[in-house]
Amino acid sequence: MKRRAIALALLPLPAAAQTAGWGNLGKPVEKGFSWTAPLWPDFWMAWTPATLAVFVGIFSAMAILTLLEVRRPGGDARKGVLGLVTTRGDRLFISLLGTSYIFMAWLWLIGMPLWGPLGLAIAWGVFVFWKV
Amino acid sequence: MRKVNQRGWFFVLPVLVLVAFNALVPMMTVVNYSVQETFGNNQFFWHGLGWFQDILRSERFHAALGRQALFTFLILVIEVPLGVIIALSMPRKGFWVPVCLVTMALPMLIPWNVVGAMWNIFTLPDIGLLGYFLNHVVGIDYNMTRSPFAAWATIIAMDVWHWTSLVVLLCYAGLVSIPDAYYQAAKIDGASNWSVFRYIQLPKMKQVLTIAVLLRFMDSFNVYTEPFVLTGGGPGNSTTLLSIDLVKIALGQFDLGPAAAMSLIYFAITLFVSWLFYTLMTRNDTD
Repeated sequence: MKRRAIALALLPLPAAAQTAGWGNLGKPVEKGFSWTAPLWPDFWMAWTPATLAVFVGIFSAMAILTLLEVRRPGGDARKGVLGLVTTRGDRLFISLLGTSYIFMAWLWLIGMPLWGPLGLAIAWGVFVFWKV
Repeated sequence: MRKVNQRGWFFVLPVLVLVAFNALVPMMTVVNYSVQETFGNNQFFWHGLGWFQDILRSERFHAALGRQALFTFLILVIEVPLGVIIALSMPRKGFWVPVCLVTMALPMLIPWNVVGAMWNIFTLPDIGLLGYFLNHVVGIDYNMTRSPFAAWATIIAMDVWHWTSLVVLLCYAGLVSIPDAYYQAAKIDGASNWSVFRYIQLPKMKQVLTIAVLLRFMDSFNVYTEPFVLTGGGPGNSTTLLSIDLVKIALGQFDLGPAAAMSLIYFAITLFVSWLFYTLMTRNDTD
């Protein structure tokens, strides 16, 4: 009688264990956001948040330039330290092209990590928009 | 502030859409591929900028880039002066003008792969007209399938034959636009032929010459079909130019990541040199 009462009392335990998550073996764990994981798996363009951010950055820079051009036409042309007449768009182009060369030179001559060229590229961009 | 009618931009919209689909979408895809690794089946794994480091430090890339630079240098050094000389010696008026123009335009009308096949048959040592002539009549040991020097000479000759006409036609267009008054003034001043060329013809040709140099640089730097059909990159790797190597990596080895990284480096080089040419050649234009 006593043994049967104990067995009855233990009966809800598996259900309790189930709700507590003891049976969750082998289920996928929900990971957090990753900059480098595929954004839309199986899509041939193979977007990742990191590469998407690069293009969003470039296109928003171009959009800002367009807005500036509409508000103040003429492209803010001036003659800079390199002896070139540049507009805002030229300066964006020169800073982006220079950035890619800074990173390529660093990867070729020095290698990872890439914090150094990041600083150099930002300095180059500031220099171009300020003086060139 | 002067009001400008900006409605004209809407007419550019179709071109913009077209460019978006045939240039921008593939370009963005290449950027995505260049930082990832794939084994097919549309599954991609992040690799960072490692491919760029691999390519920039690879002997194979340096060699292909060197060959490409040499090819483009030789093409520009030969085709631009040759084109100017031919344009200067072409008649300005009369019966021979259309004859010369059509003859000049003919090579450019032939598709690139046909040019490659034509020159391949033309220069084969045993049956080709030129190959047989050089080997058995002149007595030079010429075999473009065996000797790297002969292969180089052949692809250079082929490109000169195919594309000098472009420089000629552009320069000719610049030359005929010079009014007679300039020449008459030069004659009165007793200017020599060289002075006429240096101070009248060359400045008037500058705009079209800029375009010609830019087009010949970009086309010769990105050349693929003609050398591929003619030599297939051989003998060995001696005529494996950058684009041929790129296709080998992308489609032969199916290494999409390194190939994408390589094509972006390739693109950056083309973009920079074109920008440099354009900037240097239009720097002193006041308009």
